Amino acid sequence: MTDTQWETYEVFHQTKKGDAHIHVGSVHAPDPQMALQLARDQFARRLKCTSLWVVPSRCVTATNYQDEDFFAQTTDKSYRDPKAFGAPDKLDPHAD
Amino acid sequence: MQTNFPSQLPQDGIRTLLLAMADDELVLGHRDSEWTGYAPILEEDIAFSNIAQDEIGHSLVWFTLLTPLTGLTPDQMAFERSYEEFTCCRFVTHPKGDFAYTTVRQYLFDEAERVRLTALSGSSYGPLKEAAAKILREEAYHLMHSKGLVERLGDATEESHRRMQAAVDLAFPQALGMFEPIDGEAELQKTGVFPGNVTLEHEWLNNVVSVLRGASLKLPIQQMNGKLKPQCKPELGGRKKSHTAHLQQLVDDVQLVYRMAPGGKW
Repeated sequence: MTDTQWETYEVFHQTKKGDAHIHVGSVHAPDPQMALQLARDQFARRLKCTSLWVVPSRCVTATNYQDEDFFAQTTDKSYRDPKAFGAPDKLDPHAD
Repeated sequence: MQTNFPSQLPQDGIRTLLLAMADDELVLGHRDSEWTGYAPILEEDIAFSNIAQDEIGHSLVWFTLLTPLTGLTPDQMAFERSYEEFTCCRFVTHPKGDFAYTTVRQYLFDEAERVRLTALSGSSYGPLKEAAAKILREEAYHLMHSKGLVERLGDATEESHRRMQAAVDLAFPQALGMFEPIDGEAELQKTGVFPGNVTLEHEWLNNVVSVLRGASLKLPIQQMNGKLKPQCKPELGGRKKSHTAHLQQLVDDVQLVYRMAPGGKW
């Protein structure tokens, strides 16, 4: 039997122009245009939205949860942490 | 009823026109809402629930414009009238059928709404003109959605084509009832309130024929003297308040809670 499921698209949502697009979930759709429309119904009706991206889930290459060593800090690397100065939450690249 | 109503415009005709549009939206909105929890795909379930709310929202816009002309609140018009006073076309009253029928009906309706609202955004009656322009912005996305489904399902697989064609065969004669003439239409045309159903139907047909043909779906239609002519009997009666048990059942459902607690507030 053929698989009649639509493929999934990952949905990225932007609240205001210039902000990062943030991953909010996924939708099933037959093609990218329908994916955008369905994503609009799913994620942009209540949230303020200026832009949506959809990406076929199969295009995402991901790490494996089983491969914990990939992120492991096996030796002490605390000397690399910038602890001696505070950084504001919002960095302004044009400030003096 | 309304004291500052422009004296040169036909108040009765405007009331009839607004009520027909309000009832169409209310009834189709309810039919769409019947998919909540049942649509074949979760995403479409949510999409149809959204569309249902939008259509009912549009009916509220028209009912609100009617309030100064009828002295009735939108709730009174939606919940206190008997189904025999509704002036929706019969098309929107039919049961939701399968998803193919719902998709085709929604498409045929959205295409008609676009044509009607575009015309009304040039209406000589100010409140109608403004409201039409506002609703048109939202309706454009309904049309994109339903047209997108028709274009894809029309010739996707043997089964989707068969079901969509069956839906078109059933829905098309019903859909022609959207353009059933209303009382006072000549006056509305003369005064620039509304261009008339004949004009709208013609424009609608041109759009519908090209989209359905593009989706490999056939229509009972013939070209005569450069004009497209439907070769089937339109289902009329709704605008003259001649309805079937389908609408009676629907109105019973819609009004059930309201009637349990008349005047209740929440």
